Amino acid sequence: MSPIVFLAALFLSVPVAIVLIATSIWYIWESGNIVLYDSFAQKMFGGLENYGLLAIPLFMLTGELMNEGGMTKRLINMARVFVGGFRGGLAYINLLANMFMAAIIGSATAQIAVMSRAMVPAMEDEGYDRGFAAASTAAGGLLAPVIPPSMMFVIFGVLAQVPISEMFIAGIIPGILLTLSFALVITIIGWRQQFPKGTWMTGSEAIQAVLYAVPALLIPVAIIGGIVLGIATPTESAAIASLIAFIVGWLVYGELKPTHLAEMFKRTAVNASMIIFMIAAASVFGWVIIYEELPQKLAGLITSVTSDPFMFFLIVNLSLLLVGMVIDGIAAIILITPILLPIAVGNYDISPHQFGVVICLNLVLGLLTPPVGIGLYIASSMSETSPGAILKALWPFLLAVTIVLILLSYFADLSTMLI
Amino acid sequence: MLYRISSGWARIELGLAAFLAVCITLLVLLNVVTRTMGNALFWVDELAIYAMAWMTFLGASAALHHRTSVSVTLVPDVVSPKVKVVILKVVDVIVFAFAAAMLYFCWRWFMPLEFARAGFDAKTFQGNTFNFIYAEPTSTLGLPKYMFWTIMWVFAFGATLHSTMHLLRPVQPDSAP
Repeated sequence: MSPIVFLAALFLSVPVAIVLIATSIWYIWESGNIVLYDSFAQKMFGGLENYGLLAIPLFMLTGELMNEGGMTKRLINMARVFVGGFRGGLAYINLLANMFMAAIIGSATAQIAVMSRAMVPAMEDEGYDRGFAAASTAAGGLLAPVIPPSMMFVIFGVLAQVPISEMFIAGIIPGILLTLSFALVITIIGWRQQFPKGTWMTGSEAIQAVLYAVPALLIPVAIIGGIVLGIATPTESAAIASLIAFIVGWLVYGELKPTHLAEMFKRTAVNASMIIFMIAAASVFGWVIIYEELPQKLAGLITSVTSDPFMFFLIVNLSLLLVGMVIDGIAAIILITPILLPIAVGNYDISPHQFGVVICLNLVLGLLTPPVGIGLYIASSMSETSPGAILKALWPFLLAVTIVLILLSYFADLSTMLI
Repeated sequence: MLYRISSGWARIELGLAAFLAVCITLLVLLNVVTRTMGNALFWVDELAIYAMAWMTFLGASAALHHRTSVSVTLVPDVVSPKVKVVILKVVDVIVFAFAAAMLYFCWRWFMPLEFARAGFDAKTFQGNTFNFIYAEPTSTLGLPKYMFWTIMWVFAFGATLHSTMHLLRPVQPDSAP
């Protein structure tokens, strides 16, 4: 009965966290293990006693502070210095700025919202098709969960008991690979559509643009540098980043108003609690997974089909693409990791880092695919473009992600080389 | 009336959650500073984690009032408005059942009646019940852990309040979950 309760509640639109809890309650009652109810609430609380989770509200806060602090436009301006003069310059600027932003913001939806508002009108003014402008911005948002810091890697690291700093490092090469593949897509489309010509900045303008952006760049430097060099834990570097974002936005750029802080902390609390509560729910759902031996049963099924890790990855990728279309990426990570990770590591000898990178990128794709593509709808409403028009221009990017996913599945080194 | 109480309580929950978000940030920063100075305060991490747990459960309860939790809206989005009203009511019933169950679990866990019967004496209580909740210490704070666990009561009550409100209120046409 439990699977029916789970699916019914999920598709009736019961909040995902409560679906997990309700299924666990039902399962315990059905299996007669009522004594587990005594420690039910304790188990939920215990699921949160993890130092790594503290990074979630802190990275969200950094994103909030950065938005208010006028950093986005400085980063875009700096990107202009490096790629602005190429044909299709603005499209590359968009991509490069998205890469900088991905190194600050950990969430794809947040990034798509900010960048759509900033980039799409500018691109349209220069003569780009609006659908393409929105599509390339939405695709750029996919860099957020792969380039460190990444909310999804924090959650995966906590669930998989892999150090979050290692997950962040594992994402660096895949992030660069993804950026290059998007650049290639833009180049190819540019040949066929004759993008507007870009203009290079004059020397003094360029120096000025870079100088203005330097304080904002301190944030990704602090985050990635701190973690890669092993000076700070991801949680600590997130706190330092939020402090830098606050000081730069307030004192250097003078755009952040301390009176808005209360509102920003409130949004942080709302968004962070939504995600962390799902983790609390997942810890009681862990009982169902363990007592039902879901990983073992599923492993039996899959290993009878193939013993090849790459084939396993292809099966997982295909199923997760479907899952990601229906369920929000972070909810899906919380749900999927405890079930599939033991199979990947135990039966196929796959490194948890590689597995994490692949499934996080895969599930975030669901943000851009209907019927439940939240990222697509955000890009659509922020840029006032229909989702259909975006999708029409989006498919080459989705194809590029698919190819990168296959490469990441095949070559473990791409994820594990730097660790 | 019930709506006003629920909405007022949600506002308090969010205010507290935002305050705790501030505390988390300051605590982690304090940790960075003291650690760099070679004089780390060992209790800061644990306190920050409890602040996060409190923030989470307060925020999650308030999300039930505002219906902002993450959910799969595939089916309610495609059915006719009439069917949607029915579906949303069923969701309200399930969420209410969940909230009531949380209250029941807290009751089984904290055993308030037995604790009162034992004269609020932890030793007598655990001798009678083999429930060690009131004796469990925190690792570094020097406080009993049940003080932090009480958030589960707050959460259970908040969730019950908000879900009762939604259960008794006619479905609002635009209240998409």
